[in-house]
Amino acid sequence: MRKTWLMAWTTYRRRIRSTTFLLLTFGLPLLMVIAGAIPVLTALRGELPHVGYVDRTGQLAAVARVSIEGETLTLTPYADTDAAREAFARGEIAGYLIIPTGYLDGAEGGEATFYGEQEPGVRLGEGLKRFMRQAMLPQAPPALLDRLDDPSAITYVARETGETVVEGPALVVRVVTPAVLAVLIMLAIFTSASQMGSAIVREKDQRSMEMIITSLSPRELVTGKVLGMTLLSLTQVGVWVVGASAAIGLALLGLLEPQDLSIPWRAVLWGALLGVPGYFLYAVIAAGLGVIAGDRQQARQLAGMLGFIGLGPLYFAGILVNNLDSPLAVALTLFPLTAPTISLLRMTLAEVPTWQLFASLGVLIASLAASIWFVARIFRAAMLMFGQSLRPRQIWRALRQA
Amino acid sequence: MNQTAHALEVHDISKSYATVQAVDHLSFAVWKGEIFGLLGPNGAGKTTSIRVILDIIKPNSGHISVLGGPMTEAKKSRIGYLPEERGLYDDMTLLDTLLFMGQLKGLDRHLAQKRAETYLKQVDLWDVRDRKIEALSRGMRQKAQFVAGTMHEPDLIIIDEPFTGLDPVNKRIIKRLLVQMRDRGAAIIMSTHQMHQVEEMCQRILLIDHGRRVLYGPLDDIRQRFATNAVEVDLDGELDEAPGVRRLIPRDGGYRLLLEEGVEPEQVLRALVNMPEITVERFERVTTSLDEIFVRVVQDVHEGERGGPASASAGEEVLE
Repeated sequence: MRKTWLMAWTTYRRRIRSTTFLLLTFGLPLLMVIAGAIPVLTALRGELPHVGYVDRTGQLAAVARVSIEGETLTLTPYADTDAAREAFARGEIAGYLIIPTGYLDGAEGGEATFYGEQEPGVRLGEGLKRFMRQAMLPQAPPALLDRLDDPSAITYVARETGETVVEGPALVVRVVTPAVLAVLIMLAIFTSASQMGSAIVREKDQRSMEMIITSLSPRELVTGKVLGMTLLSLTQVGVWVVGASAAIGLALLGLLEPQDLSIPWRAVLWGALLGVPGYFLYAVIAAGLGVIAGDRQQARQLAGMLGFIGLGPLYFAGILVNNLDSPLAVALTLFPLTAPTISLLRMTLAEVPTWQLFASLGVLIASLAASIWFVARIFRAAMLMFGQSLRPRQIWRALRQA
Repeated sequence: MNQTAHALEVHDISKSYATVQAVDHLSFAVWKGEIFGLLGPNGAGKTTSIRVILDIIKPNSGHISVLGGPMTEAKKSRIGYLPEERGLYDDMTLLDTLLFMGQLKGLDRHLAQKRAETYLKQVDLWDVRDRKIEALSRGMRQKAQFVAGTMHEPDLIIIDEPFTGLDPVNKRIIKRLLVQMRDRGAAIIMSTHQMHQVEEMCQRILLIDHGRRVLYGPLDDIRQRFATNAVEVDLDGELDEAPGVRRLIPRDGGYRLLLEEGVEPEQVLRALVNMPEITVERFERVTTSLDEIFVRVVQDVHEGERGGPASASAGEEVLE
């Protein structure tokens, strides 16, 4: 076991310093943070402007200013659209709101329209909504107006688990977390597990195998290499999770209080229990394909085929969404190559029976042990075949000889 | 030399790939504390034999005793191997590489560090210990690989072409280290085409061709067996004939004298000294180089296979 860990640690150390790893690991979340932050920063930018409005209903109360989080939105009423448009053209106002005649009746085409230089952003939108409520209910106290801002903030309490989830962004986080975990597992498989084959071919090319294989057994070598890659991937996923959390946190800034956040721990637990061996299985199979492949190009082609299988849940997504407990859904939950992702995707929308999860874990671990056994055996036959691929007959002979 | 036991015994091993018989009923033994030459032309089966010995590939038949018994995982730490196709991880520093390889061979990190320092200083690589392998010159890599394969001070060292790519100074350094290891009691199997290195360092040799043993035994005995009964002389004067000489071949400033069977060089020397018309300026017994023996034996084997006239030296020679 000591040599296996040594191999794992060396593989980890060698790869964690590579430019490709650093770019992929830190570049991706950085992009996500930037993507999440830009709209928020744009929306928060600047002070609330001075705008105009035209009340064609003739029933709204005149409101000169409204307060939003300590800032004031100033409003000027205009008699008609032309007057408002002229003021806007002169630069006296940043935009104007037209409230049509049928607005209060809920008639079709009765929606209000805002004309401005550019999109108004989140805060101006909130300000205009507050103005409308105040104009419709001029006598209402500020507390009632606050309640009207978010009238359906319901907290859901589950009797069985005692878990509480506040409606709104918290509920969204609660629901999408398993799906995000499934996507992370798929990403990890695509970015590093499937690269295992190329790593093995590179090792064959570097001619380092022959020297190393006289120091440890093929099983120790394969397990160590895959373990190193798994640790590497966990590091990568860890960085991504932090990055994704930061991006989501920025995107939800001001919309979600930390105490309202509800983490679906069952999904997280099963995500880890199935995700780690699931990743490990892909890495071992990819290593085996690297052993069989003659060169890096062939290894990449074979890895592509493996990735195609890994995307399995996406091909069946339509069918699965319609019936989350169908025999196909259960079969894909038990199939080791789709078990982690399918289980998590099912958890997004429904409860997955615990027995299915345990059965899935059992099948996954058995498949992993079998694949390590298989790869270690063909490894001996193939490691000295520089630039040649392993033919089926040679694979069969290697398995029998071992 | 501490020749108390065999470090390696190979009994009748055979290995074939599809239609090629790479090793054919090969047997030999290597003593502890000796440098053993494993020779043969390209494709003779040397590398396959080494890989079978190291349990990298399995033989079709025969058995091998390594360090007193069958190969085990634990014994791998007592073996050092430098294959002909060498490679270290290019993206690792020299020191990290040695620490990794040393620990793989069972050294703890502290001892691996100490050994790495000792050996790197001996091969003049200590100053470049923090350089990546990819930044080392070919000769430096060669020495680094030598250290990586032997720093755990193994009992059995198998080394394929140890001097390739080394300049004379570095060859001397590696030779010195090999002799040190032999004197420590390690058995060293050296596979090389550089016959002068074998003549200089090996006590016994095995020559194989087409996977078969064609010459095996102590180097001195082999050279004696293949020695030509001839002498070379430089003379002042002309020589037409001499007692005990069956043929006289003129050379620059002298002659090569092929002696009659049973005639010793000393007898010829005495006869020449007693001849008043000439003065002997140089007299030297002609020895057959290992290079000549190698070429002769391999050619004889090939001619024998083609049905040509094989000389008496062709075929298996066992001189244990």
